[in-house]
Amino acid sequence: MNESSSVLARLVGKLPDPDEQGMLSNIDKEAVDSIIAEIHKGGRDSIIGLVDMLVEPGKGDDVKPRYALHCLALYVCKLRDENYRRAFADTLASQLSGERPKAVQGYIVRQLQVAGGREAAPALGKLLCDEELCEYAAQALAAIGEGAAEQLRNALPKATGKCRLTIVQNLGVVRDTKSVGALKQTIGDPDRDIHLAAAWALANIGDAGSVEILLKAADAQDAYERIKATQACLVLTEKLLTAGKKTEAVKVYTHLRDTRTDVTEKYVRDAATRGLAAAGSKR
Amino acid sequence: MIGSNRKEYAVKKGKTVTRRQFLKRSIGVATAFTIVPRHVLGGQGQTPPSETVGGALIGCGGRGPGTFEAMGLNARLLASCDVKFLDRADNKTIYTDFRRLLERKDIEVVAIATPPHWHALISIAAMEAGKDVLCEKPMTRFIAEGRAVVEAEKRYNRIFQVGTFGRFGESRNPVSIQIHKIMKSGLLKKCEAVHIKRGEFKVKEWSGKVNLQPEPVPPNLDWDMYVGPSPMKLYHRHRTGGTHRGYWDYEGGGLADMGQHFFDPFQWTWAKDDTSPVEIEAYAPPAHPEACGMWGWVEMKYADGMTLVFDSGEWAQPYNRKEGRGVSLSDLDEENRKKVEAMPDPQPLVSFAEAVKTRKQPGGHAEAAHRCATLLHLANIAIRTGRKLRYDPVKEEIIGDEEANRLVNQPMRAPWHL
Repeated sequence: MNESSSVLARLVGKLPDPDEQGMLSNIDKEAVDSIIAEIHKGGRDSIIGLVDMLVEPGKGDDVKPRYALHCLALYVCKLRDENYRRAFADTLASQLSGERPKAVQGYIVRQLQVAGGREAAPALGKLLCDEELCEYAAQALAAIGEGAAEQLRNALPKATGKCRLTIVQNLGVVRDTKSVGALKQTIGDPDRDIHLAAAWALANIGDAGSVEILLKAADAQDAYERIKATQACLVLTEKLLTAGKKTEAVKVYTHLRDTRTDVTEKYVRDAATRGLAAAGSKR
Repeated sequence: MIGSNRKEYAVKKGKTVTRRQFLKRSIGVATAFTIVPRHVLGGQGQTPPSETVGGALIGCGGRGPGTFEAMGLNARLLASCDVKFLDRADNKTIYTDFRRLLERKDIEVVAIATPPHWHALISIAAMEAGKDVLCEKPMTRFIAEGRAVVEAEKRYNRIFQVGTFGRFGESRNPVSIQIHKIMKSGLLKKCEAVHIKRGEFKVKEWSGKVNLQPEPVPPNLDWDMYVGPSPMKLYHRHRTGGTHRGYWDYEGGGLADMGQHFFDPFQWTWAKDDTSPVEIEAYAPPAHPEACGMWGWVEMKYADGMTLVFDSGEWAQPYNRKEGRGVSLSDLDEENRKKVEAMPDPQPLVSFAEAVKTRKQPGGHAEAAHRCATLLHLANIAIRTGRKLRYDPVKEEIIGDEEANRLVNQPMRAPWHL
C-alpha cells in the first residue's frame, strides 16, 4: 500500500461505524464533513481509491467507502464549482469498464446520477445495451438530461428486451423529437410493455403526426391496453393544445367522445367532452 | 403489497382481527355477492345494494384493512391485490398485479395501502381506469409524482383523498378557523408566524440499515413488482414489511411517514393548500445514498414571510433560531380586522364517502395532499443534498440547483412512468 492509499484508508476508517442495528445513528456532521474535505483534496487518486474499495454485495464490507463516495458526490455539488464537479464525474465515468464487477459499476452509475453532467453521458450510453446496467444507466441519463437523448437514440437499434423497453420509455422522458420515426415503428412491437411505452413516448413528445397511430392503439380491445393508450391520447391532446395545435387535439377528443359509448367508459367520454369545451370547439 | 409488520389490525372499533381473517371474511362476502342476486341481499336492516359500491384493496399489509374501512362507504371488497400473494393469487378475487385488478368494470373505488413508492402510480392508474381512490399517506415519494396525481384527478374528474384526516377536525376548531380566515384574506402585510413541530418524527425508528447483505427472495413475493418504479436492488427483508420506510427507494424515513399526519391540518389552518415554501434549509449530517438517517432540524420560509420548522429532537442540538409565534386579529389594522371578522366561516370539508356520492371535491383532495407531501419532500431534499434550497412553488422546481432538482422528479424503472 503506497502512502496516498494508506492516508485514504485511514480517512475512510474514521467515518462512523453503523450501530448495533446497522444504522448511522452515532454520526458527527462536522467530523464527516472534515473527512470528506480531506478525501477530496486527494483528487483523482482518492476517487479511484474509493472505487477500488467497493465490492459486490455479499462479498465483503464496503459500507464506509460506499458512504464516502456518495458524500464526495454531494460535496462536489455543494462546492458550486463546475470544475470540481466535472473532475469528479470524469473520474467516475472512466471507471465504467468491463474490469469492474457489474454491481460496482451500478453503484458508480448511481453516483453519476447524483453529480454527473453532460461529460458522463457517453460512458453511460455504452451501458444502455447491458442487461444488468441499462436501467441504472438510463435513469442516470434521464436525470442528467443534457446529452441523454443522443445516447438513447443511438442505442435503440441495438437494444433488445428490457434494455429496449428502458430506452423507448426514456426517449419519451427526454422528449426526443428526433426519435419520432423510430418510436412510430416501435408501436408495432409485439411486446405489450414496449409498444405501450412507445405510445406514451410519442404522446409525451407531443408529436402531431402521431394522432392516427395513437387513436388506433387506443381502440384496442385488451382492457389494460385500451386504458393506457387512451391515457396517451389525452396526454397528447394536452401537449398539442399547449403547442397551439388545436385541430389535431380536437380530432383526438372527438374520436374519444364518439367511440366511448359504453357506460363503463363514460368517464373517458366526459373527459373528451370537457377537453373539447376547453379547446373552444363547437363540434 | 407489504406494509407494517404488525400482525393484528383494528378493523372496526373495539374489534381486532388479523389481516388473514380480514381478507378471508371480506373476500368471502364478495364471493357471496357474485353468486346471490343483488336484490336478495338488500333485505331488512341491510344496506340496499343500490347504495353499495364495488371496492378493491391494493396493498394488504398493516395499513390495508384500515385504509379500506376509512373509505367510509358501503363498499364491498371484491378483490385484493398484494405482491406477496404469489402463492394464492387466482386473478378472480386475489391478485398480485394491480393492472389486472383495475381492468374490472365492477370495481368503482380503490383503497391503496402499498408502500409509498407505489402510491402515485397506482392512484393514477386507478383514475385512468375510472375508479375513485383513497390512498394511504404519504401521498407520494417525490414531488413530481404529486403533480401527476393532481393532473390525473383533473383529467378524469375522479375523486382522490389521501388517507389522513387531521384537517377535518382542524376545520371545525374555532381557533384554527380564525387563523385560516386571517391567512386566506391575504390582508397581513407580512406574516411573522413561526410554526415549530418538535419531535414525534420517529427518525431513529424508521432509519434504514447501511450494511444490508442480500437474502433469498421469499417464494410468495414478486420482488420485481415490489420494487416497481424504484431502482432495482437485491432483496433484503428490511426493505419490506414496514421497515421499508427507512429507504429512499420506497419512502423517506419517519419524516415522510409521519409528516403528512402533522402537516395536513397545518396546511388547512395556514391556508397553504395552493403553495409551498420558497427557502429550505436543513441541519443534518451527510445523508446515506440508500438508508434514511439522522437529521436535526429543517427550516422553511414561505413567500409571505411565514416560517415552518421541523425539529427532530433526536439528533444534535434543538432548533433555536426562532421562537414559535402565531397570528391573531391584533396583527391587522382595524379596517382589515373588520374585514376578516365579516368573512363567513369556511364550508365544512367533504368526506371521501360524500365526495364519491355527490362528486364534490373531498377535503383531502389531490392538490392539498400534494402540497402537504411537498413539504416532506423538500425537507428530505435539503437533508439529502446538504444544501440550502430556493424553490419556485409555481413551477415546482428548485432554483439554480440542477442536481437537487434530480430529486424533485426522479427517473423510474420501465415500464413505470408518470
